Amino acid sequence: MLSIDFKPFIECDNSPFILFTAQGKIAYLNNAAEILMGYADPKALYDIALAYAPKDYGYKTTTLSLQYDALHFYAITVGYQDEEHICIRLYHQPRLNKPKTLSSDKYVTTDINTLLEANITLFQMINKNELSLLVDQDIPEFKIDQNHFSKLLRKTLHAFRASDSIYISLKFLVGEYVIINGKKEGLIQLKVEANGRYNDEDSAIETLANENHISTAFKEHSITLQIPFIK
Amino acid sequence: MEQFFTNSEAVRQIVKGFNLTKTLFVSSILVGEKHTGKKRLISSLFPKAPWVDGRDMSALQEALRVHDELVITHFEQISKHDALDFQHKRIIAIADYIDNVRNVDNLFAFIYMMPPLRERPEDVDYLTKRFAAEAKEILMIDEDLTLDHSRLDLSQNSKTLKKSIFHQVMHQNADAATIEETLYHYFLKSLQGNNGYKEHIHLFEKPLIEAGLKKFGSQLQLSQVLGINRNTLRKKIHEHAID
Repeated sequence: MLSIDFKPFIECDNSPFILFTAQGKIAYLNNAAEILMGYADPKALYDIALAYAPKDYGYKTTTLSLQYDALHFYAITVGYQDEEHICIRLYHQPRLNKPKTLSSDKYVTTDINTLLEANITLFQMINKNELSLLVDQDIPEFKIDQNHFSKLLRKTLHAFRASDSIYISLKFLVGEYVIINGKKEGLIQLKVEANGRYNDEDSAIETLANENHISTAFKEHSITLQIPFIK
Repeated sequence: MEQFFTNSEAVRQIVKGFNLTKTLFVSSILVGEKHTGKKRLISSLFPKAPWVDGRDMSALQEALRVHDELVITHFEQISKHDALDFQHKRIIAIADYIDNVRNVDNLFAFIYMMPPLRERPEDVDYLTKRFAAEAKEILMIDEDLTLDHSRLDLSQNSKTLKKSIFHQVMHQNADAATIEETLYHYFLKSLQGNNGYKEHIHLFEKPLIEAGLKKFGSQLQLSQVLGINRNTLRKKIHEHAID
């Protein structure tokens, strides 16, 4: 007899799927939703599920734009599993799948901390406010297009030219990868956050980042760059 | 190798930035008014780098083709920014000003602004001492100098600073014969028309009264020292618009 147990299929679905109890507790979530939980607040997702729930039994799909860091969604489906449970499924916004290749001659083995320090020195000529740094000094040298990456750092920091309480962190991202030239590469994350920032150069930052295979996440108070760790 | 000295914190930050990136393949530009020490700073930081004048486009393009490290002067004079390829090179450009902000922003990873001397009082002190010593040596003066710091001219940075110091040193040490000779050459050049006496008498009277007032304080006392009537002195003060 044909099985209609689709749970394993949901489990490995690329779209996040979450089942909430009536009290807003998570009863079940699939693999994609586990990643989403690293960026989104479960309570906020539960509230979204309630707000877009169908009036009656059944399922309701709504088109709306949701963004959690690098995760973009264009629609959700909300439905009642039973009297006690409500479920939500989020649909990833399609992205242009540009083949990630790089011409190796432009990429030079570099100490990212040196580039960051030089850019902070330049930045502090404009912004005299104190900034906090939490950087992993042990990050080994890896391949960067030094000139391009420096421009990206300058522009990223420039978005915080009038900010105070600036906090900069640089670390390895454990367990996250990017495929470049068919090879799995690790990721370094640089995050700059403050009490506020300018967003006039966000598109220029994004363009520069894309040219360097770096992903970006813009928030009201922060900019995050995820840099491929190419040995 | 030319030495560069600074006491200014802002300039020290620029030096730090250049030192951190001097082995990297990045493009940097140092922008600042003329005579602020940009060239001296760059030549002390990159003593072995070849230099090319940005006003000569063909020489610049040839230099970019041949060298991985290059100092480009007069960058503000370059109009064809699209023709420049700085990829995978260490470029240090020097400019008196930025004409096209967007192009410069696109071309350079590091944009440093060299502050003018009027924003670097620590460096003015150092340069004043240096130029005064130079003036004493060149003019062969043994006596100690007392410079009037309010008369130092920073309008064109070190150029006018040096000039104003040399002038002060020369003026303070000029004897009567030198003043006479200076006036002689000046009159030889400028005397003309039919009212020459009146037109040139201020060259003698104005500094005489100004110095006298500073030295003796009151008009009454000065009129006695000069041996002229107080009313005559007052009239001349008015004529020469002396405060």
